[in-house]
Amino acid sequence: MTRHTARISRTGLILIGLILLAGGGAALARSLNAFPDVLGRSTAPLLSHAQTRYPAGHAWVWPVTAAAAAIIALLALWWLAAQTRTQTVRRLSLEPDRTSGVTVLPADAAIGAITDELESYPGIQRASAALHGSPAAPRLQLSVTADDHADPAIVRTRIETEALAHLRTALELDTIPTVLRIRFSSAPDRHLT
Amino acid sequence: MVTGIASRPGDTQVLPPAAGPPRAGRADAWSRRGPRRKARREFRPRRTIPGVLVAAVLAAAGILGAIQAVSAAFDRPLWKLQHRDFAGPLQDTHWDSTATLAVAAAVAFIGLVLVLTGLIPGRPRAIPLASGDESVVTGAPRRSLRRSLARLAKDVDGIDRARAKARMRSVTVRATTRLRDTGGLRENVHSAVQDRLTALDPLWPPRVKVRLRRKAGG
Repeated sequence: MTRHTARISRTGLILIGLILLAGGGAALARSLNAFPDVLGRSTAPLLSHAQTRYPAGHAWVWPVTAAAAAIIALLALWWLAAQTRTQTVRRLSLEPDRTSGVTVLPADAAIGAITDELESYPGIQRASAALHGSPAAPRLQLSVTADDHADPAIVRTRIETEALAHLRTALELDTIPTVLRIRFSSAPDRHLT
Repeated sequence: MVTGIASRPGDTQVLPPAAGPPRAGRADAWSRRGPRRKARREFRPRRTIPGVLVAAVLAAAGILGAIQAVSAAFDRPLWKLQHRDFAGPLQDTHWDSTATLAVAAAVAFIGLVLVLTGLIPGRPRAIPLASGDESVVTGAPRRSLRRSLARLAKDVDGIDRARAKARMRSVTVRATTRLRDTGGLRENVHSAVQDRLTALDPLWPPRVKVRLRRKAGG
């Protein structure tokens, strides 16, 4: 999800930026009288008298302008939606073979199970998880807050070899692409108190 | 059924020996470029905030423009804005005027900023760490790492205050002490921070720099 969103955001920004850069650059060039043969004289007004009269004499101008503005607005709204969409998985399908029926598991159950398991490990204070992508091939975002004095190597190894292995088994998947973020907290480990 | 994940029969929670295995993941990842590139891409800023802002502005402009154009088409402007009101100034303003120059320069500059925002990768949000599993991309968010390393430095005997900066290639710790004799203090801070980093096992091991400052009095 994240990489895909990043590409959409970055591509859109580059595109809009290029349009503004080209328009602004051309206006700047004309303003500085850089290419009078191509862009026109810099002493001319922004709109000539004939140009301001044009829409009044041609009925198609305003409807076409309206349609163009509406298309721009729709594209912008689509871009907005594509960037803010989280692609969170709500249900996981456990049975890839649809002939024998479909088993569906709420994603919250799987998330709750793995965060509970992680929080039961010594050295881990808090854990949060989210599943993205498709119900058949989900991706996992895992965030763990470890105690400041915990050995990160042990915490990491345990997450990889136990918690993720258990989740894979439960979801009947060979692999779950995972992004794991490990934070450290100054608060004392509640397992030791 | 999933509530049973952690307590599946026959599923004893055995801790692997702490000393050996974690190193293997690192050596493995280090030798191939894939995991490092994947990790770096994952933690790059997504540019969603500028993207959403620009999209919202564009959508608003498009909607307002469409409304205005429709009302103009029916020759019944919604607002008091008469056609003459903007056509007049545009007729009176010339290309070589200062206002035109300023607006054109501003538009071009905003365009340049947007292009650069899209192109420049940006500083990663997290320091990529080695992982033993190829499907797992691990990272330590920089802000949290910075605080944790600063706390670690502060816990060294003789250090009053400490701040840390964490980048991909270097970690800088600025520590303040009131001790008159600072012999060995820098080395102690350095080794405390270095030990933690070694345990974290970053894909790009950063260089640790310690700046020690002596505060008079106290």
